[in-house]
Amino acid sequence: MTSRESHRIKDAEKKRVLDEAARQRRARKALEALEQDNFHDDPHADLVMSKKVPKFHDNLESGRTRKTKRKGAEYYRAKYRKNFIQLLEEDKAHRPDPPNYCSAQAPPSRLPQRHFCAVCGSCSNYTCTACGTRYCSVKCLGTHQDTRCLKWTA
Amino acid sequence: MNNICILDNGAYTAKVGLASQEAPQLIPNCIMKAKSERRRAFIGDQIKECRDASGLFYLLPFQRGYLLNWDTQKTVWDHIFSPDCCGINLSEKTLIITEPHFNFHSIQEALTEIFFEEYECDALFRTTAADLSALHHLKSNTVPADCCIIVDMGYSFTHIVPYVKGEKIKNAIRRIDVGGKVLTNHLKEIISYRHLNMMDESYVVNQIKEDVCFVSSDFQRDMKTQKLRYPENTIIQEYVLPDFTTVNRGYVKKPEGPAPEQQTIKLNNERFTVPELLFNPSDVGIQQMGVSEAIMNALDSCPPPVHHVLLENIVVTGGCALIPGMGERLQTELRALAPDDMEVKVIITEDPVAFPWQGGRVLCQSTDFSEMILTREEYEEEGVGASIEKFDP
Repeated sequence: MTSRESHRIKDAEKKRVLDEAARQRRARKALEALEQDNFHDDPHADLVMSKKVPKFHDNLESGRTRKTKRKGAEYYRAKYRKNFIQLLEEDKAHRPDPPNYCSAQAPPSRLPQRHFCAVCGSCSNYTCTACGTRYCSVKCLGTHQDTRCLKWTA
Repeated sequence: MNNICILDNGAYTAKVGLASQEAPQLIPNCIMKAKSERRRAFIGDQIKECRDASGLFYLLPFQRGYLLNWDTQKTVWDHIFSPDCCGINLSEKTLIITEPHFNFHSIQEALTEIFFEEYECDALFRTTAADLSALHHLKSNTVPADCCIIVDMGYSFTHIVPYVKGEKIKNAIRRIDVGGKVLTNHLKEIISYRHLNMMDESYVVNQIKEDVCFVSSDFQRDMKTQKLRYPENTIIQEYVLPDFTTVNRGYVKKPEGPAPEQQTIKLNNERFTVPELLFNPSDVGIQQMGVSEAIMNALDSCPPPVHHVLLENIVVTGGCALIPGMGERLQTELRALAPDDMEVKVIITEDPVAFPWQGGRVLCQSTDFSEMILTREEYEEEGVGASIEKFDP
């Protein structure tokens, strides 16, 4: 009697549903993307630049006297090479009591979060059952399923 | 005045000039690489020599608002202080430089070392842009007040800093991790999904943001308007993208004119939902208060007798203050949140980007300025630690 089963229910069971952890991972990735400087690779990455070669307009004599005195950009990069996390750790040791970087952060809002359709940007009342993205209408849900839903799950 | 240089070292633009000048020079604080020009990179304002700015790759000295990439920064500063740019020779000059709030110690040490050792400054004064803005606001003759709230909407984040009797209330400083960078990146993502893939085009999208974005004065009303069809929909705009052969900078197309040859995109609700992040960071999942709510939160940490003075002196500075409608929206939201027996006055300064720099000029004129600076003798005596003792006791 398998033929009498509902196709809709059968299809729904086959669908992959993202669990809470995966959804949070996605949200965190989206936030990190907002902080990124570039989304593409350095267009000059494959070039080998030779800084040592003197250019025509360089004045050889003045260049030489300066070089002995100045340390150049490389020196400072090497000396103060620290990433943000390291600096934050260091700051916690220096300034353990507020006010410091962490205490200055604005607390969470008391107002409820608003939701917008991920496709068209209007106010959204519905959530995609598979991935948790918000949408506003059947039309937008269709676009979402065709383009984004579970398409780049990493 | 001729021997004092002011450098408001922002994460996106550096504002630099001598105290004797009327206005600072604005220089992009970054190195840019173009696809079309493979022989060189563009440092700071050299970008105006670049004819094809598509797919521009950025090297920024600042990460999350703090100076981390020293080689990039050093290269940009070398350019700024070279005769090709503004030609200020820092040796035997006093330098006023700005840093972010709660700057990290090792960054402060590096700053001190670079300016004394490399640029051979005579003396150094390290401060924050908000301090300079507050000084500028409080010392300008039209406002007889000694308290104010500075709202600094920068590139990396937004800070709310209250000053009472000229003193900063450190406990009341609030930071919202939304600034111009987040807005540009958010707009870039929206355009790339809805219209054309522009993920590589930070430079162009930043210009789109500057040209079309506005702060909605009534969000629900505008949300309804954007659903209508064209003549009733007063929000939708067509934007002509630059192709870097005939059009070098994009512009908003007039509704009636003929279709241009260049690619266009239609911008509708993105025009106001993007700057909306400053008022509701939770729209993209940043669990922090919006600007108005955070201002009231900061106010709670200030002594109650001065609340009414603070609310009458809210000064907005930084690049995001240039978004049209910012003042009106802040005014209405704060009016709704503040106690009804108190006046609320939001001031968007005439030039919000250069306002702190102008504050630097005010600082030079104060009588005890010569005692506040860190001199070369003090530096040579005590080393880099002296700057931390002097400026962050």
